[in-house]
Amino acid sequence: MSAPAEPLAAEARVAPRRVLWALLRSPSGAVGLAIVLLLIVVALLAPAIAPYDPYRMASGPRLAAPSWDHWMGTDQLGRDVFSRVVYGSRLTLMIGTIAVGISLTAGLLLGLIAGYAGGWPERILMRLVDVVFSFTEIVIALACLAILGVGLINAMIAIGIASIPFYARITHSVVLVEKNKPYFEAAIAAGASHLRLIFLHLLPNVIPTLIVVGTLGVSTAVLAAAGLSFLGLGAQPPQPEWGFMLSSSRDLISRAPWMMIFPGLAIAITVLGFNLLGDGVREVLDPRQRAR
Amino acid sequence: MLRFIAQRLFAALITIWIATIAVTLLIHLVPGDPVRIMYAGFQTTEAEIEAIRQRLGLDQPVWRQYFMYLGRVLQGDLGHSIVGSQPVLDTLLQRFPATLALTVSALIIAVVVGGTLGFFAAYRRGTVWDFGAMTLAIVGVSMPHFWLGLLLLFLFSMTLGWLPVGGSGWRNLILPALTLGLATGAVIARLTRSAMIDIFDQDFVRTAHAKGLPKTLVLYRHALRSGLVPIVSMLGLQFAYLMGGAIVIENVFAWNGVGRLAIQAVFARDYPLIQGFILFFATVVALVSVIIDVTYALLDPRIRYGT
Repeated sequence: MSAPAEPLAAEARVAPRRVLWALLRSPSGAVGLAIVLLLIVVALLAPAIAPYDPYRMASGPRLAAPSWDHWMGTDQLGRDVFSRVVYGSRLTLMIGTIAVGISLTAGLLLGLIAGYAGGWPERILMRLVDVVFSFTEIVIALACLAILGVGLINAMIAIGIASIPFYARITHSVVLVEKNKPYFEAAIAAGASHLRLIFLHLLPNVIPTLIVVGTLGVSTAVLAAAGLSFLGLGAQPPQPEWGFMLSSSRDLISRAPWMMIFPGLAIAITVLGFNLLGDGVREVLDPRQRAR
Repeated sequence: MLRFIAQRLFAALITIWIATIAVTLLIHLVPGDPVRIMYAGFQTTEAEIEAIRQRLGLDQPVWRQYFMYLGRVLQGDLGHSIVGSQPVLDTLLQRFPATLALTVSALIIAVVVGGTLGFFAAYRRGTVWDFGAMTLAIVGVSMPHFWLGLLLLFLFSMTLGWLPVGGSGWRNLILPALTLGLATGAVIARLTRSAMIDIFDQDFVRTAHAKGLPKTLVLYRHALRSGLVPIVSMLGLQFAYLMGGAIVIENVFAWNGVGRLAIQAVFARDYPLIQGFILFFATVVALVSVIIDVTYALLDPRIRYGT
């Protein structure tokens, strides 16, 4: 979670089609969108793109250097690295979506409730969120894995839980701004119910900010999951997960550097794609940033 | 100022206190029997399992366990690890200097590299230099730390043979510190750039220029000095991330710090060690953030008198 996301202005609400056009015209947005779309296409068409079965051993000689037959070489079991990288995109997208889904939903609810309630519930809730936030995501994720045990699904859940405080803080900060606007006070005066105020008035105004944060959040989740798998706490053999592939490459670095280069490149490009897309969406939705 | 320090210390104590509750609950959230999970790799009889349960106090009600744990923590006793049955605090303290050396040297690299890059990107805003620096920064932010580590290992240790692959001397510290420092430097470069742009746009900088003061004087005396404030304020969070990043990087370079210990503990399901690590980590991060907040207040009087 590198870039501190600030609440977007209310003017941020523009028609989706205009957003898309503006996104395509901003360089980072267009490049980011292209990378993310490419990733989705690769994941969907993995069986058609991958020349070999990602799990099949001895698809070629062991530790073969990149060649026409094996574009990214082969690993210590003779599996085709290119095919494994292609199939890995499926796991990566799944990790990103599930982890962000968990943290976004829970964080959104926490932030909305705390911000709407105000008073001591807000103080206690947000104080707690701040404290948990200060433990940092990796330590919370480690604690979750200590409870749940290792594995890719558990790693996704752990990363999802670990980022809840981050989303709760952002939602809370946006709610604080929105609560003091005339439209909200008017809705209260009109006698709107609590649920109506939270879900029909506050929620739609929080969404634009959360789209930006969620997009950037996918990159954080992908990095975190790759890190956990690299440590052996996430994906297990023989899953073609990029972080895990890197960990098995470590001891073979000098003999088979391609095992280390390509999965790492795949992670970096994916994360870069989501980072650029998030930056692009922010530029489009936040006029203040655009002026720069 | 004293009041300010007292307030920050109090907040840090609350954080540490919540951490003690969290680690006590941790062992109760484990699905199944934590004692059996911990001793899965050992030959144990039913009677031994019961004895361990009693020794760890797991047969007591949760609130009672909590106060027992708190009482022991206040006396500096974090229990004994399952593997090797060493006192947890001693083990952590023995490993901590290595982690501290790594994070502090990484922080210095990060601030020097990231700060300089961000400062010049802001100064030359809109030019090729700015674009180049920010491209470099976003690529740095997008690279997994451990991959950067592997690349540096491949380049400096394997190909050029300049540096050792793993071990514990100062020469072995160079690569992990560089990895962690450059990765964090990319984040700091982005933050510094936007902080400095805000400053350059402010009236007092424009006035200084309008008065005809030399460019470098305005840069260093006016802009850089006020730019330091937001930059120092984000170092607290960055330090926490550095400590977190160190957990992974220590494992890449086989650097024997607390992070490497923590991963081994998670694998072995060594709950006393995991609990001790989390509490230790939270304490270090909380105390460092107090130090950084105080520095921040010294730089910016508005903070001191505002609270």
